[in-house]
Amino acid sequence: MTTLSTVLGPLELSCPVLAASGTFGFGEEYSSMLDLSELGGVVVKGLTLEPRWGNPPPRVVETPAGMLNAIGLQNPGLEGFLEREMPRLRHCGTAVIVNINGETEEEFAVLARELSSVEGLAALELNVSCPNVPLGGITFGSSTPILQKLLKKVRPLCRLPLLVKLSPNVTDIAGLARVCRDEGADAVSLINTLKGMVIDTAAKTPLLGNKTGGLSGPAIRPVAVRMVYEVFQEVNIPIIGMGGIMSTEDALQFFMAGARAVAVGTANFVEPRIMPQIISGLRAYLEEEDLEDIGSVIGAAHRET
Amino acid sequence: MQAEAIVRKLEKVAEDIIYLKLEEKSIAQLALPGQFLHIRIGRGVAPLLRRPFSIAGASPEEKAFSILFRVSGEGTRLMSGLRPGDRMDCLGPLGRGFHTAPLKGAALMVAGGIGIAPLLFLAQHLLGAGHKLVFFYGAPSAGEMVCLERFLFNGAETWLATEDGSAGRRGTVVDLLEGFFLEGRISGSVFACGPRPMLKALQEKNEQWKMPLKFSLEERMACGVGACQGCVVASSPDFMGWGARQYHRVCLEGPVFDAGEVLL
Ligand SMILES: Cc1cc2nc3c(=O)[nH]c(=O)nc-3n(C[C@H](O)[C@H](O)[C@H](O)COP(=O)(O)OP(=O)(O)OC[C@H]3O[C@@H](n4cnc5c(N)ncnc54)[C@H](O)[C@@H]3O)c2cc1C
Ligand SMILES: Cc1cc2nc3c(=O)[nH]c(=O)nc-3n(C[C@H](O)[C@H](O)[C@H](O)COP(=O)(O)O)c2cc1C
Ligand code: FES
Repeated sequence: MTTLSTVLGPLELSCPVLAASGTFGFGEEYSSMLDLSELGGVVVKGLTLEPRWGNPPPRVVETPAGMLNAIGLQNPGLEGFLEREMPRLRHCGTAVIVNINGETEEEFAVLARELSSVEGLAALELNVSCPNVPLGGITFGSSTPILQKLLKKVRPLCRLPLLVKLSPNVTDIAGLARVCRDEGADAVSLINTLKGMVIDTAAKTPLLGNKTGGLSGPAIRPVAVRMVYEVFQEVNIPIIGMGGIMSTEDALQFFMAGARAVAVGTANFVEPRIMPQIISGLRAYLEEEDLEDIGSVIGAAHRET
Repeated sequence: MQAEAIVRKLEKVAEDIIYLKLEEKSIAQLALPGQFLHIRIGRGVAPLLRRPFSIAGASPEEKAFSILFRVSGEGTRLMSGLRPGDRMDCLGPLGRGFHTAPLKGAALMVAGGIGIAPLLFLAQHLLGAGHKLVFFYGAPSAGEMVCLERFLFNGAETWLATEDGSAGRRGTVVDLLEGFFLEGRISGSVFACGPRPMLKALQEKNEQWKMPLKFSLEERMACGVGACQGCVVASSPDFMGWGARQYHRVCLEGPVFDAGEVLL
């Protein structure tokens, strides 16, 4: 009997495929099209302490084999989330991970503390890599001392498994992952979007309302796979890999690079049933290769042949 | 929600405008005027995202529905090469359509360019229910107009406007409609779809006309189902919920809005 279950420190998942933050709302929109309990988990839309209305439109634009988004963390805030989303999420049948965002260390700290006592959450994902907000966001994830200071404050307050979502817009991804490990984070999520821009040549202005946006989709996959590979090689911390996954084959690249779980983002927009499809594809792969569990694939690309 | 429709017919009905008739039972049954389909073009990564198109007509008896599209970029160019028998991956029907009941007076349909598409479906419904209908249709030139009689309008009064004067009145469709209101020749509920500047002009003029006004909006979309917050339009100051300002998702709260709901 093959198993797809995977372990990321204290976080145990029945299946290694998650929905990536911001691409799956609060799990409700897609629930009529797929059975959420088939998934390893859902990382819900980036949450902030206060409600945020996000950036002016246009917020999305297609690019070659990808897209830019500049949503700007539109979300109902902690209170709205607990009142309106959490009662349903608690019974959605899959692990719920909350992606938390702050403009200040204090905001992250309050969110981590408050959410730690909420029943029905599997983990928190600290987003220090949002390219689409003027304050906080990526500034917390671009320098090792700043990230270290944040984690020293947040880690002790967070009683749930703590994941840190890192940005590809940095020169030393392994250095940042090392800080995460040293400060007690349980896993890193690699990668968030790459900052980019499209210019509307007719209007002679950047097309997005926010001018810049985050690039996601197949276009970023090689960058993401390389970063997972690099962090796996240099730092001993569990990795959730993501960036442009659209098929079982793509997911396998991430596992072989060293990810213990993967997340699917943009592909959900293209094919709402992509995650169940990838999951059955992984199962078929393990059977074909006569492997008992997904663990035997993890990091396979690092082994000497 | 997700279905494979089969292409039955593809026909060029005006310059760069293509009428596509498709067969799929559940979409044909469920579709309401104003709703749209989110269509995947091909199986690859270019185009990557689905493309939204209004449903331009539906016939449950024939298990068929149609869309009307303007070739404007790579995705629609590829769609123009579809052939009968080809399959199209459709998500939908999606969004909130035109709620029409109860309707007082005539239904005044105001279409700009390819904005005619959802109004054809609405007209099909309203004519079926015995409503009086007046059509105002504007386009840059006569060549870019689809022939209305071709789509069900025996009996519907139609008025045309073109920017170059090649059909109907010279000018915009909003000017045309305004003429009717100023002369007191007409009143009723207005249903509109067209380019954003046209809808904005309608919304502004309607401050004086004070007619019930609903329009269908376009915005760039990713998911099409409300999950990504990508397709928003600002809500009007009278419709604030949490936060200092709110956005509506065109794909879920729209694409049809009451003129008073949004800030264009
Ligand atoms: C609710 C809704 C209903 C629509 N109904 C119709 C219809 O009935 N007939 C019709 O011809 N067109 C309709 N449109 C516009 C249609 O979606 C675009 O023309 C189409 O997506 C262009 O794709 P493309 O690949 O040819 O163009 P490209 O310019 O290559 O597209 C690039 C990207 O921009 C997006 N995009 C470009 N133009 C628009 C636009 N006007 N609105 C939204 N997204 C756009 C595309 O979806 C794609 O993601 C509708 C749009 C919306 C939101
Ligand atoms: C529309 C959109 C919204 C996103 N919102 C968030 C967010 O709120 N928090 C976050 O950490 N990442 C967010 N992301 C990044 C994704 O979670 C993911 O890291 C990235 O898109 C790469 O994966 P993909 O190529 O599979 O989409 C968002 C991505 C998209 C496309
Ligand atoms: S397109 Fe994703 S919310 Fe509307």
